[in-house]
Amino acid sequence: MNNAFIIGQYVPGNSLVHRLDPRTKITVIFFFVFIVFFANSLASYSILTAFSLASMLTTRIPVRYILKGLTPVWFLIIFTFTLHIFVTKQGTVLVEIFNLKIYSGGVIQGFAISMRFFLLILVTSLLTLTTTPIEITDAIEDMLHPLKKIKFPVHELALMMSISLRFIPTLMQETDKISKAQASRGVDFKTGSIKDRVKAVVPLLVPLFVSAFKRAEELAMAMEARGYRGGEGRTKLRELKIMKLDIAIFILFAAVAAGLFLTRVY
Amino acid sequence: MSKLKTVDLTFGAVFVCLMAIGANITVWFPVLAVPIGGATVPVSLQTFFAILAGLMLGRKLGSLSMIVYTLVGVAGVPVFANLQAGPMALATPTGGFIISFICVAFIVGWIADFAKKPSIAMYTFAALIGLIVNYGIGVSFLYLSMNTWLELSITYSLAWKGMIPFLIKDGALACLAAVFMISFAKRVPYAFRTARTSTNG
Repeated sequence: MNNAFIIGQYVPGNSLVHRLDPRTKITVIFFFVFIVFFANSLASYSILTAFSLASMLTTRIPVRYILKGLTPVWFLIIFTFTLHIFVTKQGTVLVEIFNLKIYSGGVIQGFAISMRFFLLILVTSLLTLTTTPIEITDAIEDMLHPLKKIKFPVHELALMMSISLRFIPTLMQETDKISKAQASRGVDFKTGSIKDRVKAVVPLLVPLFVSAFKRAEELAMAMEARGYRGGEGRTKLRELKIMKLDIAIFILFAAVAAGLFLTRVY
Repeated sequence: MSKLKTVDLTFGAVFVCLMAIGANITVWFPVLAVPIGGATVPVSLQTFFAILAGLMLGRKLGSLSMIVYTLVGVAGVPVFANLQAGPMALATPTGGFIISFICVAFIVGWIADFAKKPSIAMYTFAALIGLIVNYGIGVSFLYLSMNTWLELSITYSLAWKGMIPFLIKDGALACLAAVFMISFAKRVPYAFRTARTSTNG
């Protein structure tokens, strides 16, 4: 479990999608989420599906792995599909079971909407599958830069993200340790009413908070001892650069979006 | 926004980790998965921790910390409930709850500032207002996402009805948050002071 936390959902690789600038990926996905809702015909759905499948295959991540990552939303997709089949009453009757009539309109609508949701989830999941959390942090810091004008602490935000990425696995292990330590002292986590069980969490939370805050204090001291003075004039270890590849992807995506709007016009 | 000190940054960051643990507390305590009406409802302490973020870190740092939590999750680290992660967590109907934690921390911190010294009544009041904000935003988002993205026409009241078991659980936890805050402040006065005073100065 702890390994999963360190790298998140990232699958290492060297595919075209992996090599893209994280800002490019975030921008494309952001606009994809919007244009997905403009799809309303077979042609527009085909364009979107082709784009999504092409991006999925370019990552060279096993398709089964990607689909497994979508497990939490499968239920929602199937639920949406089923509900639409039974609720929508348009078109011709396809099947009639007892009093339930399934209309062709319902099947089409259910399929279209769950497909749209599926594509949306699929493409957004590609971001975290091909980009490390650190890269995304760098990209967010860079993209939020304009907010500095309204005194929003962008650098601090990115630094906090990096620190928490570092400390999440550590504190998870700490939780594990504390819960074992408290169990060995006789705290009963397993039996009793719901109220008792919730109460049993308190002997876990207090030491956890104490240890977490102690770490935070030590870290702040260590940072200041090494001369950390906020974001002014700091240079970066990893510089983000827009390459020709990124520009090519932007043009490709603009073409997809334009194609989608054309299907709406005609 | 007053300048954040180094210690504020590390406190806020560590709180993100605590929030991640709170969201997935059932990993360590499978017994906390409470069966309600056939389905097992995993108890997530997210609301509890978001309220504590407001109480402990104050409105500015608390809400900043919750923004970081959201972004870390979006970046693909499984910090959301049920070890979910990625931008898709925000696209699902319950994504509104994640976004609401930012407002919860801000409003709870803002109300708690009116209390000159730690007071259980004031903290409980702040926590309950936080709970209302949490569910107000969360359920409205659920309703909107069901009706717009998934085009399932459900009524607003149905969206609320589905959330009642969670609301009861989080209501109890919200009251616990205020009690926990007071007892925690007594036991660890130093950490408490650092966190509270350095951000509100």
